[in-house]
Amino acid sequence: MILWAIVALPLLAALFAALPRTERYVLPVTFGCAFGVLVLTTVACGFVLRDGHTVAIAQWVGLDGFAALLELLIAFVLTTATLYSWGYIAATERSALRIRLYAANLNLFAFSLLAIPLVVEPGLAWIAVELTTLFSVLLVSFDNTREALEAAWKYMTITLVGATAAVLGFLVLFWAMRSAGDVTFTYSELALVAPRLAPSIVAVAFFLIVVGFGAKVGFVPLHTWLPDAHSQAPSPVCALLSGIETSAVLYVIVRLMPVFRAAPLLHADLWLLVIGLIAAGVAAFLIVQTRDYKRLFAFSTVEHMGIICFAVGLGTAAAAYAAVWQMAAHALTKSFCFYAGGGALAATGTRTIAEVRGLVGRAPLAAGALFVGALAVAGAPPFAVFVSEFAVARAGFASAHVAVVLLFLFFVGVAFFGLVGHVMHMIFGPPKAPRSDAHTYRLPVPARAAIVIAAIPVVVLGLWTPAPLAALLAASSAALGR
Amino acid sequence: MIGESLLTPAQEQANSLVLGLFLLTAFGMTVARQVQATLLAFVAQSLLLACSSLVLGLHPLSVHLLALTAVTLAGKVLLIPWLLRRIVPDAVYSRRELSQPVNITTSLLIAMALAIAAYFFSVALLAPGTPVLSAGNVSIGFAGLLVGWYQVAVRNEALPQLLGILAMENSAFLAGIAMAPDFPLIAELAIAFDVPLLALIVGLLTRALQERVGSTDVGALIRLREGGEP
Amino acid sequence: MRTAIVLNLLQVAFVMGLAPLFAGILSRFKEIVQSKRGPSIFQPYRDLAKLFAKDETVSDQATWIFRFAPYLAFAVPIVVTTLIPVLTSFPLFFAFVGDMLAAGFILALGGFFSVLAAVDTGNPYGAMGASRTRMVSFLAEPVLVMVLFAVAFVADSTIPYIVQQRWVTPPASLFAPSHVLILIAFVMLILAEAGRLPVDNPTGHFELAMIDESKSLEYSGRGFLLIKWAGWMRMLVLCIVFLNVLVAPWGLAPDASLGHVAAAVPLVALKVIVFLAVLAAIECSATKLRLFRITEFLTAAFVISVTAMITRAFSL
Repeated sequence: MILWAIVALPLLAALFAALPRTERYVLPVTFGCAFGVLVLTTVACGFVLRDGHTVAIAQWVGLDGFAALLELLIAFVLTTATLYSWGYIAATERSALRIRLYAANLNLFAFSLLAIPLVVEPGLAWIAVELTTLFSVLLVSFDNTREALEAAWKYMTITLVGATAAVLGFLVLFWAMRSAGDVTFTYSELALVAPRLAPSIVAVAFFLIVVGFGAKVGFVPLHTWLPDAHSQAPSPVCALLSGIETSAVLYVIVRLMPVFRAAPLLHADLWLLVIGLIAAGVAAFLIVQTRDYKRLFAFSTVEHMGIICFAVGLGTAAAAYAAVWQMAAHALTKSFCFYAGGGALAATGTRTIAEVRGLVGRAPLAAGALFVGALAVAGAPPFAVFVSEFAVARAGFASAHVAVVLLFLFFVGVAFFGLVGHVMHMIFGPPKAPRSDAHTYRLPVPARAAIVIAAIPVVVLGLWTPAPLAALLAASSAALGR
Repeated sequence: MIGESLLTPAQEQANSLVLGLFLLTAFGMTVARQVQATLLAFVAQSLLLACSSLVLGLHPLSVHLLALTAVTLAGKVLLIPWLLRRIVPDAVYSRRELSQPVNITTSLLIAMALAIAAYFFSVALLAPGTPVLSAGNVSIGFAGLLVGWYQVAVRNEALPQLLGILAMENSAFLAGIAMAPDFPLIAELAIAFDVPLLALIVGLLTRALQERVGSTDVGALIRLREGGEP
Repeated sequence: MRTAIVLNLLQVAFVMGLAPLFAGILSRFKEIVQSKRGPSIFQPYRDLAKLFAKDETVSDQATWIFRFAPYLAFAVPIVVTTLIPVLTSFPLFFAFVGDMLAAGFILALGGFFSVLAAVDTGNPYGAMGASRTRMVSFLAEPVLVMVLFAVAFVADSTIPYIVQQRWVTPPASLFAPSHVLILIAFVMLILAEAGRLPVDNPTGHFELAMIDESKSLEYSGRGFLLIKWAGWMRMLVLCIVFLNVLVAPWGLAPDASLGHVAAAVPLVALKVIVFLAVLAAIECSATKLRLFRITEFLTAAFVISVTAMITRAFSL
């Protein structure tokens, strides 16, 4: 029942937005629904921790440890994003129709995001991923500028091409499974019959799915849409896209890894290792040379997706634990970074790093949040991302892949200096007045509240892991098959 | 080919014809200059997909495939063209793409080379002998996927790029109905619902492009590059 | 032996004698589609008779090629007639002298000398048209070769008579995808080789836009007669190859009895007329392609024929 309620709430909010003359209430209602989803998800996590899993329809809809963790992350980021949206839209949007459109779109996007971990059948997972793309395209182009439309078009094209390749991958996987006997098409059953599947067919499915969904996660060289889309969208949407959506798609790929690992001569782990390393490396150098701070955070997302992939590719249980930890830490930290970026955008009206200086004088909340966020996402102690990256490195050294771990640490270091350097330039120094044609505004209370609330887990989780969270992490890494 | 087939010879013949014409429409979509012509080629391709699933679903009788036929006809042959014509302004349809990055002759030859490559690949895929309803579907499905991808890469106009994506989906399903005829029905229906939604949303985006930028030449949208204008 | 000679002569007479009639029928169809009355279908015969009585004017710059080309162009379709099944479905004695590839190249030989003759007189329009004709022919050759390859895959031979037996006689193979694609490619080839719309306008008078017609610009009197007649015969030969070998092998005489052969004449004529109706429909609904789009047209034909060969090679 709870699972149905979790996805029903955003749908109801979307329906509410479809009614006329609701523009004043539509965003608070969205926030309320998101908060309700958070509460329900926490309860569901409790059930999962107690029973091992919770099921709505056997073999179609259900949560296990890993899925529950992801659902919890989605629910939390959704709550802060809707809270921030409330403030953001109140300050920037006057047209009633556009407000309702935004809210409806946001709720549908939330519905599709929440659906991804809930479904146990890969075909439905593909549909959920496709729906996230469709519902976020119009959100990315919401500003209706030339750049926003271009970003939305590139996003749509590359991602949908990938999704189509991925659907063929799923069909091929189903075909391979069919010939292994009477098996239902779910993650767990696939993992069970994996050794009996024809290796060449599994290999084809692997490439189609990794390349197809990899375009959506942001693997290099299919990442070109990511900095555009994740910078042109409104900040709360960026937080959702960067923080959660890429992770959710990576979740689907990683969920299928036990199947791919069982194929001899495919070396699926090695492929993920290399892909992750390349993504992290390219992103690190792109971070150094970027000129727009929202693109900066977007490239950081590419880097972190690379790190998670790298960790999964290392293959050991410790690495799997680190990968899931990284996923959680990144989701919470990156959304916070985008809220901070949104605050900076509100205060200065520009996305260009060179035009922003001395932010700490103009907008102390935004500046402080940027400072904390940049340090946190770059991997400085004592924040959560540092803990997870350390865990990845330790797992890597323990598994005797010393050379690649050193390369990984080098890339993380480059990204650290790039991120921190750019953000320090923006925060400190003599203040620079915004250009006369820049649209600045005071960030309303809900948005500020969102920034503060999002900061809490970023700061706290580096120091202390609550026991239920640790239990969920352990269950997740077990689900990764090692 | 694979051992013994479940299909009657008449089915095989009819299906082969449909497959040959399917590949032809894939080529046609890639090189048709006019936007309207590309749309017509897409409708023809979807119709052929429905025909293939109808032929394959008749014997042994498969409710899945017949349901897919009905859904393809309703969604891709009727609904999507209607949606696209309603949402996207008429000015877009009268466009002809005068400059493509690769000229039409070379495009055709590249598309042909891709189709041939896909053939060889699918033969290797089918070699282990895993049973499949119709080997031709798998070959043409992969060929159509590559040609559709090429179309997205090489066309400069918005609608032909969208139609390239839809053509890739058509091809993926053409392969799918032979490989996985009993794919869960719920998933297939949901996918069928998702395709018109795709057309709707991208149509809205195209409309926004036409209104805001004045043209739908997406090949010219290059402002957001590193080192481009900030 | 005597019957064989008689049958061969009958075939040649069929092609030579009825080519103007079919040309007249095609132009009549086109005029009807365009809601006009059109000339009588026997008008080409009257044209031939008129030209026979006229004097020839030959440029003093012309060499022997100019005088020689019309005779060669006239002889070429007649030679090809002896290679292909026109009235009979069993091979006549020239049948194994050359296969379809040879037929294609013999036709190309006639075309080559016509092109040389067009350049021979020094008329600039002739030279322009000649280079354009060469471009079209050179692009059409891969299509022809691919079609023959695809045909050879099925029939294990390119001798027209054998292909006819194996290619289309089993009715189920009529709808095989390679078959349908070969037909489409071959129709496009006929349009290109015979100089029909959308490749070239056979009734155009504008020299700057002529492709095929420019070859006959300088001819008069008997030379002109031979060129015109040769053009009609060439068109008929292509149609007969298409119909009798690839599409509809029915209606041909199965043995040497004169009764059967006489019955075959109207049946083959009927098939040609039906095809001409289709051709008229195509011509009236297509606009003439710009010169550089002819490459796209023929590349499309090439891609279609390669697809046909692939579908056959992978046994679809």
